[in-house]
Amino acid sequence: MKFTKVLALVLACVMCLGVLASCGGGDVNYAKDNTKIKIGASGPLTGGAAIYGIAVKNSAALAIKEINAAGGIFGDGSMFFDELVMTDDKHDPTLVAANYASLYEGGVQITLGTVTTGPALEFKDLSHDDNVFVLTPSASGDAVPEYDNAFQMCFADSNQGTASAQYFNENYQGKKVGAFYKSDDEYSTGILAKFEEALDASFGTVTKAAFVEGDSDFSQHVQNLKECDIIFMPIYYTPASQFMTAGIGTIKNNAIYYGCDGLDGVDSVKNFDINTIPQEVSYLSHFNSGATDGAAKTYINAYREEYGADAPLNQFGAAAYDCVYAIRDALVAAKAAGKTFEVNTSASDFCDILKDIFTSDSFVFHGVTGAPEADGKSNISWNSTGYVNKEAVKYIVKEANEAN
Amino acid sequence: MASFMNKLSKIKWNHYVNYAAVAIVAIVFSAMTFAGGLPQSTLFLLEKTTMNIVLAVSLSLVVGFLGELSLGHAGFMCVGAYIGGKTACLLDGAIDGKGILSFIISLAVGALVAGVFGFIIGLPALRLKGDYLAIVTLAFGEIVKTVFENSSKESFGGPIGLRTPRFDKQYLFIIGFILVLLTMFIIQNLIRSKHGRAITAIRDNEIAARATGINVTKYKLVGFIISSSLAGVAGVFYSFANSTVKAAVFDYNYSIEILIMVVLGGMGNISGAIVSATVITYINTQLQTLLTGDLAVLKDIIYALILVVIIIYNNAPSLKFFREKYNMKALVSKIFKFVGKPSAGKDDESAWHRVPTKIEMNEILSTDLKVVESTLEPDKEDKG
Amino acid sequence: MDFIVTLVNGLSLGGIYAMIALGYTMVYGIAKMLNFAHGDVIMVGGYTVLVFLAVNPVLAIVMSVIFCLLLGIVIEKVAYKPLRGASPLAVLITAIGVSYLLQSLALIIFGAAPEFVIIANLGTLDLGPISIKYSTIITLVATVIVMTVLSLFVKYSKIGRAMVAVSEDRDAARLMGININMIITITFAIGSALAALAGVCSLLNVPTITPTYGAMPGIKAFTAAVIGGIGSIPGAMVGGILLGIVECLCKAVPEIAPYTIAIEFAILIVILLVKPTGILGKKRREKV
Repeated sequence: MKFTKVLALVLACVMCLGVLASCGGGDVNYAKDNTKIKIGASGPLTGGAAIYGIAVKNSAALAIKEINAAGGIFGDGSMFFDELVMTDDKHDPTLVAANYASLYEGGVQITLGTVTTGPALEFKDLSHDDNVFVLTPSASGDAVPEYDNAFQMCFADSNQGTASAQYFNENYQGKKVGAFYKSDDEYSTGILAKFEEALDASFGTVTKAAFVEGDSDFSQHVQNLKECDIIFMPIYYTPASQFMTAGIGTIKNNAIYYGCDGLDGVDSVKNFDINTIPQEVSYLSHFNSGATDGAAKTYINAYREEYGADAPLNQFGAAAYDCVYAIRDALVAAKAAGKTFEVNTSASDFCDILKDIFTSDSFVFHGVTGAPEADGKSNISWNSTGYVNKEAVKYIVKEANEAN
Repeated sequence: MASFMNKLSKIKWNHYVNYAAVAIVAIVFSAMTFAGGLPQSTLFLLEKTTMNIVLAVSLSLVVGFLGELSLGHAGFMCVGAYIGGKTACLLDGAIDGKGILSFIISLAVGALVAGVFGFIIGLPALRLKGDYLAIVTLAFGEIVKTVFENSSKESFGGPIGLRTPRFDKQYLFIIGFILVLLTMFIIQNLIRSKHGRAITAIRDNEIAARATGINVTKYKLVGFIISSSLAGVAGVFYSFANSTVKAAVFDYNYSIEILIMVVLGGMGNISGAIVSATVITYINTQLQTLLTGDLAVLKDIIYALILVVIIIYNNAPSLKFFREKYNMKALVSKIFKFVGKPSAGKDDESAWHRVPTKIEMNEILSTDLKVVESTLEPDKEDKG
Repeated sequence: MDFIVTLVNGLSLGGIYAMIALGYTMVYGIAKMLNFAHGDVIMVGGYTVLVFLAVNPVLAIVMSVIFCLLLGIVIEKVAYKPLRGASPLAVLITAIGVSYLLQSLALIIFGAAPEFVIIANLGTLDLGPISIKYSTIITLVATVIVMTVLSLFVKYSKIGRAMVAVSEDRDAARLMGININMIITITFAIGSALAALAGVCSLLNVPTITPTYGAMPGIKAFTAAVIGGIGSIPGAMVGGILLGIVECLCKAVPEIAPYTIAIEFAILIVILLVKPTGILGKKRREKV
């Protein structure tokens, strides 16, 4: 019974907090006190997927720092970005609502959405209700840009699956195809389904080996795939590096490992020497974290200088870096198009402005992801569905040790 | 007679004080949201809090009153979420999928199916004791998760999850509070009935209970089914509070999180479970939203430290005297004594929530009774 | 031939599970608690190897075992000893707290990025139609040695017999002059050292480590311990090997591979239903 009093006391406290917090409900502009434009995001900063979230956090913060150092958004010192606000969602959709609300009510005007697809499916509905702009660096699910306020910097999963299958159809006819995928992951299964759909019938059935979260012993998967000439790996790079290590001596030496954008960063896993892998390792992606020239190299150098050699560097980060610059460019374009906005314009108004710019045909962003043009930067644009248009490139991380 | 009536009325008031507390909070927040005054962060927090209270109170029936350790509560919630969410999706064509009617039908279906799963698992599993039951329920939770995760895209969405209609977030928490009251009503009435006394008797000594003619299997099963269907209710609520139901959410860590709420609230203490569910949800949400960017790594450490310190403080036998002298309850009752008259019904030693739990019994039991306790544990292997 | 390779893989994986399960089962048998932080001790062992690997691989393995042994003692003294005599549930929650704590500390110290820990490049043994990795063989041999030594230790040494006595009847053991606290501490130390060894064997097969690396093997080993009959040393061995083989057999068939975990747990449920105390657990008569 004393406990019921504690209950009453605690609930009363919660209530008071609620009353205090409720002072600004309704359709208010939470950003009205901002002195700089605030960008926010949600992503895994702890837990198993933390490397992806941390890369996004670092890269977006780097881009903001660079833009501010170069005189702000317009280069004339008139308008700056505030420091990035990044909340931790542990790749868990149940945590997204609280994160979204804290970002939105904390005065964030433009968001990078979430880093991974699962949480993004919550984020898209919440942000759509409030009309908040989302440009996600890496949540690649097909359903992520369902509403008009959301755009992707990465390729959608189905596009990656189809593009990979087309590459196989053109280049690898007659070879035996295997697939190593993560059966409880939407990214992996999404790509693989489209890949199988678009693959020519002449390849026959794809030999498959599935793993789930928490698996790390891949000796059996290697056994299943040892007859294959090409192994398609629509997975992220950590399990890929483990799988390839487990495959030394069992997988054919002239086989080819072929992945999607998740494979980028495979050669950066600490203490993992990709040269111990005898096979060819390649992937179709919009970014190569081993790039040696162009804008990508500039980004990599800046990132390494800022965060040191041990910080995670992968396509997630590169896409986030591009996201911030794309938002900057869009704001510049908006100003040129005669739209007016201030540092304390509401998230909804920013969303309307940015939507127009991003869907307009004339807006082309030059970034570090995608196939570089002559100037080292790529051409990136968006269509009205929110999917990105840019050139993917097949990067060969490592050539085969012996000629095929 | 008059004094008897007086006493009766006092006890009754005492029974309903936690309903009143929850109802008052619900009414205050409802008034605020109808006035358009609640920000989303508060709404989401309330949704999550009410859901966790339903989960904690329902698990409290199994762990606190039945004395069985279940680590699969999230599995039943998963069943409820998927089945309820799917029902809402199917209803979406016929009636408004986000409407209250759709919610009620989904709730009934979700709770029913989760209850059936509770029966299917409970019937064989309740033959097992203690930690063996814990691992079987944990296993059940993981099996459910895996099956939904590998379902086809058309049936339950597969790894990407099932897309479900999201209820109007402005008002969903009111339903949450109604569900909390409903859960409290079901559990408290069950515990106070003769069935409840049978259930606590089984907890305190199963063999003795059986000897007095209590149908142990029946009562265990009833407790387990009610608990699992209420977890299913929380699951349906989850599916209406989120736009996607994703199986990966309902892993054993979630079950453990609910168990933490029950244990911190005090075994067999419903009000305690409500308070600790509220406090834990609040602390977790605050840590999550305040510690952003580089600070995010600290939140698990803070949470873990809070957990270990509270548990050791609350349970360590060597801190018993210290605890009795300086505890929250004493502090609060001091304040209340200072403010008003001593609480009514204080000396009602037979009040249902004052019946000493098995755990407290263990602390005070003598050696030869402890032998009984050890024989109730799963069997030990003769080494050698 | 493929089947034999699958079987060998299963044996090796099962050996690792068995070693972890031993720690679970000993702690359970003697302290009557589920040590949920056990899996994270493996992770700490792995990171210790990483730290000392630059000096010498053998030293790294030794240091890993010693450090985990000490860690086990510290965890027991700080987190579990104050709760001796309290509710088993309270201890369970503390163990979970310790598990969170170890994971977050590892995240802060080593970062989230996975790191490769290559103790040695061992190569493959070719036996005509089949080839088996040396790491697999080493794991198997290590498991057998550990199991034999442990059984002999429990059977013949003074401390080992004291352990059996404590697990049989704590109060009687106390009356016989056994220092229960010391026995429990020693049990934790041995369990944690075994976890470190399991971590080393696991790193020989899968040379990657992250802060969350111990969680899944921990749960699997717990399952193995229960399948074999928790509290029983040979039971842990049997349960671990069985689980490892089932896992590899499931993964060998692409159609059922995604359901591997479900199948493993279903087997657990079935075994417990047929034999409620696990394969080698003994039924005791209950009395009032």
